[in-house]
Amino acid sequence: MLEIKDLVVSFNRSPVLNGIDLSISPGDSLAIIGESGAGKSTLGLSIIGLVEGEVKGRIQLGQRDLLTLSEDEMRSLRGKEIGMVFQNVEDALNPLQEISDQVTEAMTVHGFKADASNRSLRLLEAVGLDRETADKFPHQMSGGEKQRALIAMALANDPQVLILDEPTASLDALTKSDILDLLRSAVAGKMALVITHDIATAAKLCNKIAVLYAGKVVETGRTEDLLSSPRHPYTRGLIRSYPNMTTTKDLQGIPGRMAHGVAGCPFHRRCTQKIEICTQQEPKLLPQKGRMIACHRGGIVPLLELDGVNISFEARRVLSDVSLTLYEGETLAVVGESGSGKTTLARAVIGLYQPDSGGITLEEKAVTKRDLDFYKTVQMIYQNPKESLSHRMNVFSLVKEPLDVQRLGSAEEKALRVKRALGEVELPADDDFLGRYPHQLSGGEAQRVAIARAMVLEPKLLIADEPTSALDASVQAKILRLLMDLQEKRGLSILFITHDLALARKVSDRLAVLHRGKIVEEGPTSAVISYPRHEYTRVLLEHASNLGDDRNSGWSDENVLQIDRRDAILSA
Amino acid sequence: MNASRPPHGNFINYLLALVAIFSLNFILPRMMPGDPLHAIYGDEALVAMTPQMEAYLTEKFALNQPWSSQFTAYASGLLQGDLGYSYYYKDQVSTVIMGALPWTLLLAGLALIIATILGTALGIESGYRRGRPLDRGLIASLMFLSGFPDFFVGILLLLIFGVCLGVAPLSGATTPYSGATGLAYALDVAHHLILPLSALVLVQLGGIYLLTRNTMVSVLKERFIMTARAKGCSDSRIRYEHAGRNSLLPVVTATGMRLPQIITGALFIEIVFSYPGVGSLLSSSLDARDYPLIQGILLLVTVAVLTANLGVDLLYRRLDPRVRYAH
Repeated sequence: MLEIKDLVVSFNRSPVLNGIDLSISPGDSLAIIGESGAGKSTLGLSIIGLVEGEVKGRIQLGQRDLLTLSEDEMRSLRGKEIGMVFQNVEDALNPLQEISDQVTEAMTVHGFKADASNRSLRLLEAVGLDRETADKFPHQMSGGEKQRALIAMALANDPQVLILDEPTASLDALTKSDILDLLRSAVAGKMALVITHDIATAAKLCNKIAVLYAGKVVETGRTEDLLSSPRHPYTRGLIRSYPNMTTTKDLQGIPGRMAHGVAGCPFHRRCTQKIEICTQQEPKLLPQKGRMIACHRGGIVPLLELDGVNISFEARRVLSDVSLTLYEGETLAVVGESGSGKTTLARAVIGLYQPDSGGITLEEKAVTKRDLDFYKTVQMIYQNPKESLSHRMNVFSLVKEPLDVQRLGSAEEKALRVKRALGEVELPADDDFLGRYPHQLSGGEAQRVAIARAMVLEPKLLIADEPTSALDASVQAKILRLLMDLQEKRGLSILFITHDLALARKVSDRLAVLHRGKIVEEGPTSAVISYPRHEYTRVLLEHASNLGDDRNSGWSDENVLQIDRRDAILSA
Repeated sequence: MNASRPPHGNFINYLLALVAIFSLNFILPRMMPGDPLHAIYGDEALVAMTPQMEAYLTEKFALNQPWSSQFTAYASGLLQGDLGYSYYYKDQVSTVIMGALPWTLLLAGLALIIATILGTALGIESGYRRGRPLDRGLIASLMFLSGFPDFFVGILLLLIFGVCLGVAPLSGATTPYSGATGLAYALDVAHHLILPLSALVLVQLGGIYLLTRNTMVSVLKERFIMTARAKGCSDSRIRYEHAGRNSLLPVVTATGMRLPQIITGALFIEIVFSYPGVGSLLSSSLDARDYPLIQGILLLVTVAVLTANLGVDLLYRRLDPRVRYAH
């Protein structure tokens, strides 16, 4: 059992790791993920006793506290009980020694001299390097081969603790996959710590993940849980910005930059759901629903909850028993054909319809009345922007109107906020544009004005009811990109109502399929798209926009066509 | 350097260098001002010299013939191992040089070996302890020492140990007419050698030390040092086997380039200590404008430097597999 307790590592008195608590049991493989500079490598090096800064706390391996051991005792542990695989960078191997000699050395320095060179050859063979390669020098080997040699070296004395520092960085996809297979068998039964910024490596190699941010662990949990439903805003940001074949939403980053030594929660400057306490007090890593999370708000907060909402128009049930949760900074797409009740759902949330039964909760408070405060938090944009803008008002008064209603600020402040809002939606804020009337705007401009009007109050939730279906595709792409940017910057939650599944796939984190007023399927967008469970979802998928001739064989048909054409040209 | 060349490509380069230097060796002394005959015999002798005698000597050294004929005589002599006749020492140039060469080999060779070994060792230790007192002390003192010209250090040593303290002989390589043999002779040689050798080593030491130390400092930052530490290698193993061996590579290259410096250094030192080596010989032959001797010595030095560089090249191939197997 490897236990790290309250580990603090500082360089020149500024802490790089600040109170780390982690434990790894035999058979466990723990990934440490996070951006560069989070302190990942420092953590690995402090376990093996090679960190140069000042180290405080406790690192307990069995009965021993590694931090109290002398340099000599520590040296005898290194490579024998604690093995470390470094990233295959330029010079991770001694350029003047043959590979087999370097592996042999790993044994001989611990006194295992007998048969060491034969054993080193066997080890190299086990990691996939033949006799010929074993006699090579590092400069004669490929990146993958060098990485294998580094692994063999770390495994030489069959250590109980294995630390892998970016073991797959700078490898191409196929080599990476081979190395991952090798590493998976290498870490089996050991206590493994995998330091990586590559989430896919963490997913393949580890059963647990700890997310490190500015020297603090902000979330830990089992790999599948943590990756499928991240609870800390930083974890979600990391996953959103990681290109992979699983998620379908466009990449989004995390606003701002990481800084060490921030008062309060280390993440608060980049967090979109911070409250006052976040800037003052450091959150503790506390257990929550099978995870450990360090967040004053208990992780990403549910912004909007619908619980068993029913709405009927006369005898017709339009929504029946609709329950949904929309989290802060997330896009929930509600997809369904016309008449499925999508728009009714949107209007029920904004307060245009009253549910017959069921509750709507906003920021963990039941919504009983729609007052000014409610509309400061929730705003809506509509399908047809020109109709949603009063044709008697110019751009300036249109965007300013919500401020007037809310009685926010003086005239100058209002003008400033209007200009800022227009800037955010990438519209000009000159007098000419401010004086225009809706009929003088293009469709895309009008929808931007509508978004600016919604955003001028800086709401938490934006309900977008088919916001782009009246626009052509290139304008639509820009408007959606704009919404995603606002989400990245502000943590805006979006309830996205659409009939277009292909569109929903690119913009939403989660997807709810509405059919005849009922939610028939709900889950992470990628899961719903890849493994639809409900028959209706499958039908929707089959009819979603597709650029190939046929959904399954469009590509190969295209090939056949080209080959035919080529044959025709050749025979002519 | 393009390491993909096969070894014989290297030899051709060395051969070309040799030819170029042979030619220069011939041309340069003849561009010096003054008449060699006058230099040999001095003004007084010239008064006594008959025109026949002068003509005979000029004929013998081919000094009255065009440069092409002089060069032919020079080249054909070279091929036979004949470096010419020294009209100052009145003996074969090769014989004269051979008499002086062992002393220079002893002095410069030992200086090179000691300075390299000592400089590397100090550099490794100092680089490993970067920023600590030993490192700082060594840097300061060796930088200070290497700032002096070698003859100045020689004079200083001579004054302190030879004149003031009287513990070392003032000049020469042996005590004249001592008749000592065996161990006594060896001790006598060592006693005479110690001051010039120290002067040469002290001046050479700084450069080798600084190069090794700086290489050591940067090698210690390389990732494979971390790999070695993580394997559990001991400090001394990391210092010598991993960092030390890698730090040696530039030192080997630099030693090849340092050889001419050692030789010119030895020249000055030999003059300061009246040490009967090639340096003193060159100095007196320059005074006398003894062309054949000057040429012979310069040729010898050139060949020695080229040979040493070839040796360094071959040694480097052994030390660094990246050069050996470069592809």
